[in-house]
Amino acid sequence: MASLRLAAPLGGFFALFFVVPLGLLLFTSTQAGRQIGGGFSLEQYAGFFSDTLNLSVLWNTLLVGAKATVLCLVAGYPLAWLTVRAPARLQSVLVFAIVLPIVTSVVVRTFAWIVILGRNGLVNTWILELGLSATPLRLLFSEAGVVIVLAQVQMPLMVLPLITSLQRIDPNLGSASAALGAGAWRTFFKVTLPLSVPGIVAGTILTYAACVTAFVTQSLIGGSRLLYMPMMIYQQALDLQNWPFAAAISVIFMVSVLLVIASLVAVSRTRAAQAAA
Amino acid sequence: MNSLAMSRRTLLAATAGTALAGRAFAADPLVAATFGGTWGEVQKQVLVPAFTKRTGASVNLAVMLATEQIAKLTAAKGGRPPFDVAILDEGPALDAISAGLIAKYDSAKSPAFNQLPSQFQSAYGPAVTMQAIGIAYNPKTVKVPPTSWDDLWKPEYKGRVGITSLASTLGLAFLLDINRLAGGTEADMSPGFAKLRTLLPNLAAVSANFGAHGALFQQGEIDIGVQNFNFAEELRAKGVPIAFVRPSTGTPAWKTSMHVVQGAVQPDLATSYIDTQITAEVQTRMEMAPWNVIPTNRDVKFEGLVASVIAQNAEELQKLVFFDWAQVNKSRATWTQQFNREIRV
Repeated sequence: MASLRLAAPLGGFFALFFVVPLGLLLFTSTQAGRQIGGGFSLEQYAGFFSDTLNLSVLWNTLLVGAKATVLCLVAGYPLAWLTVRAPARLQSVLVFAIVLPIVTSVVVRTFAWIVILGRNGLVNTWILELGLSATPLRLLFSEAGVVIVLAQVQMPLMVLPLITSLQRIDPNLGSASAALGAGAWRTFFKVTLPLSVPGIVAGTILTYAACVTAFVTQSLIGGSRLLYMPMMIYQQALDLQNWPFAAAISVIFMVSVLLVIASLVAVSRTRAAQAAA
Repeated sequence: MNSLAMSRRTLLAATAGTALAGRAFAADPLVAATFGGTWGEVQKQVLVPAFTKRTGASVNLAVMLATEQIAKLTAAKGGRPPFDVAILDEGPALDAISAGLIAKYDSAKSPAFNQLPSQFQSAYGPAVTMQAIGIAYNPKTVKVPPTSWDDLWKPEYKGRVGITSLASTLGLAFLLDINRLAGGTEADMSPGFAKLRTLLPNLAAVSANFGAHGALFQQGEIDIGVQNFNFAEELRAKGVPIAFVRPSTGTPAWKTSMHVVQGAVQPDLATSYIDTQITAEVQTRMEMAPWNVIPTNRDVKFEGLVASVIAQNAEELQKLVFFDWAQVNKSRATWTQQFNREIRV
């Protein structure tokens, strides 16, 4: 009883500022026409699915999130591993460096990337000077650029859960594996990696959800020729003031992202069950 | 214990009361929307001091795009609007008026209103300036100054051209103008889209909004593109290598107007704020470099870059190219979808 009462303020907060708006969103998405008050209809949903452009935008968004998340994982795992192994003093420096991006506004970080990836930016200057290419590469306003920047901007969300789960692994397990004759790589794949799966799953979910919805990064780095769902929602809600359609695509987008995350969790559960068996 | 609980409750109630009362006090500052960039700066530096000197009231400027202003007013409809004064381009202004978000302008309380030519007067508020667009280019990389939109299609500018999406009036006016030159009208945009498709190989960037577009010249991402006269000149004044030319086929332009919003908390202050904006005194100062704001008050002499680049006098302003924004608003959703579909990577 007492614990229930303790949870009441947060519960009330969620009900008021999350459940109610979500209900409003659902309600708005089932309105006919371009205004709230057009009467119940599912025409917004039908409209979305009848246009292949919308479907390809949805697919591209889910895909760009997946690419950025994979890059985050591949680059973030060694970083997390290094942080856990590092001596105490270096460890705090590393954790500070990992957390640092979170304290800077995402807009500022994204603009910094515009400077780095631009035609006259750092990356292109190096590429030209090293003779890797005769002309500057198109990094801004390309999907590759969006993936790179998303991966950096959202990196802490991947690395922090990884560090937590790697820290929980008993170092004796590694020693035992080595004593039994396994090499470093075998120990990593047979012991460390499976035991860090909870961290990988948590990090992947956080990073993925953040990447697909990263309106600022997607629109500033991608420009208008790379259209993703958040920009499309913005277009409908603000530029065109078509709230029912904006609400409907928001709901579709939310459900799609939840489905991706749910299947990820389901896969990791079966894996975990197999490993246990 | 009891008294502590009481005082805590009183405090809570008092806090809630203050929050609810919000901006109801007489001494509340006026809240005025403004655009980012040139407009936010010039209004902060010229209009706000002039208004405060005149009325003794203070102003909170809220930087918002036209579309954001309309969205916020729509969300607050029937309640207390989040700001008192709106500033809108012609298309969004018509939308806001027909949605009932804008109050009638009380011209009896606005002495400067009669100093505007009739085309700048409206029952819902005065036009405070005209925005004109043209071609901006980097004189360091573009050796032959462009003269018309067609120059953007030149093969040597492959991958060097920048435009904006239709979310910005800049991008919309550009599309409307190439459509006009290709023989289209506001009711038939297909010639414009056909022409725009042929620009694809030259496009380096299609900015999602006006703010992102401005940075492209600064960083050398693009060498040539469509740009707003005021903004290009402001960048040039800051030392960015950029030059602005009017297209020989005519300069597309539109009115920007200011409005008292429906149910404004401070309607009289709002009217007097807008009146200050259209006085000859304020517009004369805004016309100076680096702002170069095109005046609408007939008593303001055309001087500086406004006179040398845009128009010598109010009559010449009539020769700029205008569009039928009521018609544009009807099709904007369709065009946006078509733009999404056709202008992709």
